[in-house]
Amino acid sequence: MSHKSKSDLRLIGKSQRKIEGLAKSTGRAVYTDDLAFPGMLHGKILRSPHPHARILSVDVSKAEALPGVHAVVTGADMPVPYGIIPWTPDEYPLCVDRVRYIGDGVAAVAAVDEDTALAALELIDVEYEELPAFFDPVDAVEADGSTPFIHDAKKPGWNGNVTKKVKLEFGDVEELMDSSAVVVEDDYFFEGTTHTPIEPHCAIGMWEPDVVDGAGHGGAGTVVGGSIAAEGAIEGSSIVRGSPPGARNAAASADGQTATASPAKASAKPGPGGPAAPPGAEATNRGKLTVWSATQVPHYLHRELSRVLDVDSARVRVIQPLVGGAFGGKSEPFDLEFCVGALAMKTGRPVKILYTREEVFYAHRGRHPFHMRYRTGCDQEGKLQSVDAKILLDGGAYASFGLVTTYYSGQLLCAPYAIPAYRFDSTRVYTNKPACGPKRGHGSVQPRFAFEVQLDRLAERVGLDPIEFRRRNFIGEHTRTINELRITSNGFLECLEAVERASGWSKKFRAMPFGRGIGVAGSTYISGTNYPIYPNEMPQSAVQMQIDRSGRVAVFSGASEIGQGCDTLVAQIAAEELGIPIDYVRVLRGDTDFTPVDLGAYSSRVTFMLGNAAIDAARKLRKLVIDAVADHWEVKSGEVLLAGGYALWVPDTSRQMPVREAFNLAEARHGALGATGSYNTPKDVHGEYRGGTIGASPAYSFTAHVAEVEVDPDTGVVHVKSIWVAHDCGRALNPILVEGQMEGSAYMGFGEALMEQQIYKDADHGRAGLHDAPSLLDYRIPTALDTPELESLIVESIDPEGPYGAKEAGEGPLHPSIPAIANAIYDAVGVRMTRLPFSAPSVWRGLNVARENGTLGKPAAPSRQGVEV
Amino acid sequence: MAGTTEVVRLNVNGDTREVGVPTHYTLLETLRYVLALTGSKQGCDKGDCGACTVLLDGVPTLSCITPVWEAEGKSVTTVEGLAGPSGPHPLQDEFDLNGAAQCGFCTPGILCSAAALLERTGTPTRDEIKEALAGNLCRCTGYTKIYDAIEAAAERMSAAG
Amino acid sequence: MLRLPPFRYHRPESVGQAVGLLGEHEGDVMLVAGGTDLVPNMKHRLFEPGHLVALKGLSELGGIREEGADLRIGAAETLSAVAASPTVRRLFPSLADAAGHVAGPQLRNAGTLGGNVCLDTRCTYYNQTEFWRNALGYCLKKDGTVCHVTRVGKKCVAAHSADTPPVLMTLGATLVLTGPDGTRDVPIRDFFVADGIANTRRLPNEILVEIRIPLAAAGRRAAYAKLRQRKSIDFPLLTVAVAADVDADGVVRGIDGVVTALGSRPRELTGWADLSEGRTLDDDLIDELADRAHKQCHPLENIIVDPEWRRAMVPVFVRRALEKVRAA
Repeated sequence: MSHKSKSDLRLIGKSQRKIEGLAKSTGRAVYTDDLAFPGMLHGKILRSPHPHARILSVDVSKAEALPGVHAVVTGADMPVPYGIIPWTPDEYPLCVDRVRYIGDGVAAVAAVDEDTALAALELIDVEYEELPAFFDPVDAVEADGSTPFIHDAKKPGWNGNVTKKVKLEFGDVEELMDSSAVVVEDDYFFEGTTHTPIEPHCAIGMWEPDVVDGAGHGGAGTVVGGSIAAEGAIEGSSIVRGSPPGARNAAASADGQTATASPAKASAKPGPGGPAAPPGAEATNRGKLTVWSATQVPHYLHRELSRVLDVDSARVRVIQPLVGGAFGGKSEPFDLEFCVGALAMKTGRPVKILYTREEVFYAHRGRHPFHMRYRTGCDQEGKLQSVDAKILLDGGAYASFGLVTTYYSGQLLCAPYAIPAYRFDSTRVYTNKPACGPKRGHGSVQPRFAFEVQLDRLAERVGLDPIEFRRRNFIGEHTRTINELRITSNGFLECLEAVERASGWSKKFRAMPFGRGIGVAGSTYISGTNYPIYPNEMPQSAVQMQIDRSGRVAVFSGASEIGQGCDTLVAQIAAEELGIPIDYVRVLRGDTDFTPVDLGAYSSRVTFMLGNAAIDAARKLRKLVIDAVADHWEVKSGEVLLAGGYALWVPDTSRQMPVREAFNLAEARHGALGATGSYNTPKDVHGEYRGGTIGASPAYSFTAHVAEVEVDPDTGVVHVKSIWVAHDCGRALNPILVEGQMEGSAYMGFGEALMEQQIYKDADHGRAGLHDAPSLLDYRIPTALDTPELESLIVESIDPEGPYGAKEAGEGPLHPSIPAIANAIYDAVGVRMTRLPFSAPSVWRGLNVARENGTLGKPAAPSRQGVEV
Repeated sequence: MAGTTEVVRLNVNGDTREVGVPTHYTLLETLRYVLALTGSKQGCDKGDCGACTVLLDGVPTLSCITPVWEAEGKSVTTVEGLAGPSGPHPLQDEFDLNGAAQCGFCTPGILCSAAALLERTGTPTRDEIKEALAGNLCRCTGYTKIYDAIEAAAERMSAAG
Repeated sequence: MLRLPPFRYHRPESVGQAVGLLGEHEGDVMLVAGGTDLVPNMKHRLFEPGHLVALKGLSELGGIREEGADLRIGAAETLSAVAASPTVRRLFPSLADAAGHVAGPQLRNAGTLGGNVCLDTRCTYYNQTEFWRNALGYCLKKDGTVCHVTRVGKKCVAAHSADTPPVLMTLGATLVLTGPDGTRDVPIRDFFVADGIANTRRLPNEILVEIRIPLAAAGRRAAYAKLRQRKSIDFPLLTVAVAADVDADGVVRGIDGVVTALGSRPRELTGWADLSEGRTLDDDLIDELADRAHKQCHPLENIIVDPEWRRAMVPVFVRRALEKVRAA
């Protein structure tokens, strides 16, 4: 794709108001819990008080008898396993025969109000048989089967506690390690953290039963829709039953431990591997199910609701109101979404469930705790030679995205530095705690912390300034990583230079008094993944646009607006390409009944993929309009421009007409003006090995951070004064939003670095597996007074395949926060922090050890700063 | 289950409203679920996050832990009440212009805290802004753009007199 | 949303009426001032009274004024008002400082000085939801039989976690309580008891109406230091209040220190007077005082943050408070 130069762009590249911005600041913006419907009931979910137990019986009769209660559902009502990754469907909307963590859902009630629903929960009798539980991932991985595994082993002799094992090696790790001049080796621990969007999860279900087949809502449309779906289903189910998942994605299941599971209970329906076909076409429930949800993946929710609740997917509608923050925490289906559906189907009334904040902590899916061992070698000149990593991922009770997390724990480390030899050996295990999943920077934030600290150590050992050390190892642009990922644009050197200059690095590094320090780190991240979660050849993102006679353009977008600004993005692109003001664009969004599929807001995929889809649609329309105008003026199409509300003849711009007239001319000529646009990823760009598709992205972003800290040597309190974050986002389509993503990422990383931990009590402290403190009082996220000054520095490398050259900005900029702070602490006091968080007690302990060892103090300055190789 | 219902008389955003509420309702529940003023948000359930902040006689107050009866006899201002007939409050406009609202969920509470600050002082320093927002958690922005917006609004308001 | 249990809300027009309501609904009634602690506790089902008696807005409980030999602060004055009061700041800056560091701005706007003095003790095993406590198996303080902090004994050790009482103790404040039998004065030093379940001497039918601080204490050099993880919102991990009488030659004539966020009542440091007698507040003395504080203070795991570190922070924060006193 060729890119216009900056001067040719009118709206792209300039900060724009968000199209829903004033709605958000005036209180008009509608989120899921802001909705209410006539007759709406309120639901609550009964949760397990045990970390691991068999459910012997569930008696709901007393609850059902309570006045005001309309329905109760249990696991037996929805015995269909699901999971966001089609190869690991290991959870149920409500537990069927076993609970696996304190907080696991067991039953749900719909009643006239929340108080009644809560009272009903107390009347449900559940008989449990407690089972020995696993809390420590080391215990889980070493389990011998003498007590029940958390999930049944797929084959006899296997460890059912293991979700996934991946071991990949590129180059000769041992040989290059042996020949390295310097090797550093350390253990690192990254504590689990959670997303903490301020909006708790919320969902509303509505069920409209068919009174007479085909004559209910929708009339003829329903009949037509049904027949289309039926055809798709025949093909779809034959694929599911007859053949394994597509070859490429079969590779994703690597060792086969988690290979295609077709649970018996689900076998009557299209299975989890169900490739492209819309699920649920054989469904027996005749009616229409609508679910409003604070989700960042309406499409996957749509599929899973259909499959689990046994409703034809053509009769399922998912509506996504505005989402009050997500960060990965709403990127798979959750119990409440199935429960509102099931309860609505049972009662015929709309049903709402709003999580309490406590339940958000149990739903979790946050950052996995990682136990990591890294060995890294470089030569005398500081050139990296070999990296060897061994990682144990503490996954919690369910797989979630864990298969991908396990790969990402290793796959995303191979840039922005050239690594001649690399090996990682990662194992994800189940434990009886809330499930871990994807959090901003999925799977790669933890290893990045360890690795960038290793680089700091290597730089020190070879006497180099750590920025210079990173510069020397730059992988370059338009190249391949050692694990065969294709790198296109790469602005990492500019990022390093930007933070070096802005932070005043050269005057500060190793030069400030004891207690004050500065540190650097770099990183890379994906702009979406080349392969979607379920195997299919269809576009990853699509939009539809139509032009109205008023001069207005309507954009139908299924992309998930979670605060990052993707609705504004499509409006900006439509306006740019069609020459109209942004406020002439209406974005109709987030409703699977009328918006084309976008796979969701995860993997930093939206700007890249939705942007390209929007350009595709807009340019098709632009061509229709320009052709009509050119015809009318009897000039060449190439001489007509749409800009600033006018159609202009480029050779003499006094020849012009309002764009609305141009639209009318085009409509008269072509008929109603509409176009679809779509984007699909390159499918021939990935590593030629099992698992080589995971981590493959159409483009990679790059980031560098410098953090400046003050460490109180008496208390261990770390005060992060400033973080400078430079990020190569390709092109900043809406700079103020890009800065917002960079600042928000740096903030979130800072919080993880210093204070956040999703942890659990142990047997010596109350009860093992019980969440330590599921509230926003005790799970501490930084306040305004804690947060450092954040300075964002945008770097634009103009990616050849990104929309106008853009790449991601939502997740990459988080990665270096944590190692940059760790490295700054070292510069301040000479203490290497290898375990998160760098809380005051932890730093204080580090200071004490350093005092005892005599290593407390300002580290020595590099002996050969900036030496040319 | 719902306890007793009684009539509460509230002055919200200049309107006097008499509505029946269960006696154990909080001000937030009354605003959101009885008066349909859904601008004020519920984030933490119990006074830890600030998303539910409203102004009671101009004072930033956590409506999720305020029994509705405490609002009787006081004027309640929610985010919906900050705008005037001629348009949004300068803070609301500047929040939009400066990218201070990402997901927007903490925004109504932050705007109420900020509006009270600007009532107190027309030219707040950045430290004063941080102090005023120290009870409002934002998970998206890192606060920087929020400070920019408040400073811009303060300038606009003092320029306008 | 986390729900409140049902209750009736009473807004009496006088303290007398309020006392009457306490009697009328005895056993099923609680007082609420700012509600910043009580309402979350009720949402956690730690308390489910059928009746709440509101104290906010009672004019008898308002006002900050110098009267007689005391500064009198109405118990329902908000922490924001106390922190901002020019009178308090002039006379007792350490109290203004402590009040201004409680929780976050909105909580200080609602929370009252009286409420802070009467704040329920806190514990990681207690300030949790009903679901959570059920999964725990409950605890000694509420619904259970085991203390998960000490794991032995039958004494609740939930932490006194209020910011202002230590300062009020060093200033020699007196609390005025009104009940059905009239009004009584209780020196705040005698107010707290070492029982995490009910750690004050306030009777259930009594209302704290006023806090009186002797104006004579305004001559003391006083300081307050607080340890917490975040710079706002959090409860203290450690609070240190110190006050000293220092004569014109810089010689210490009297000195008090109180540390809290340990056990169920604020700990008055002992042995300070002997150490300080006739000495100036130099580095040596400060170190000795800090060391003595360290020996006396033993943080528990009632607060989830590393007790060993918190213990090590005792002398650090005592030292910092004393340095402020010296500089005052």
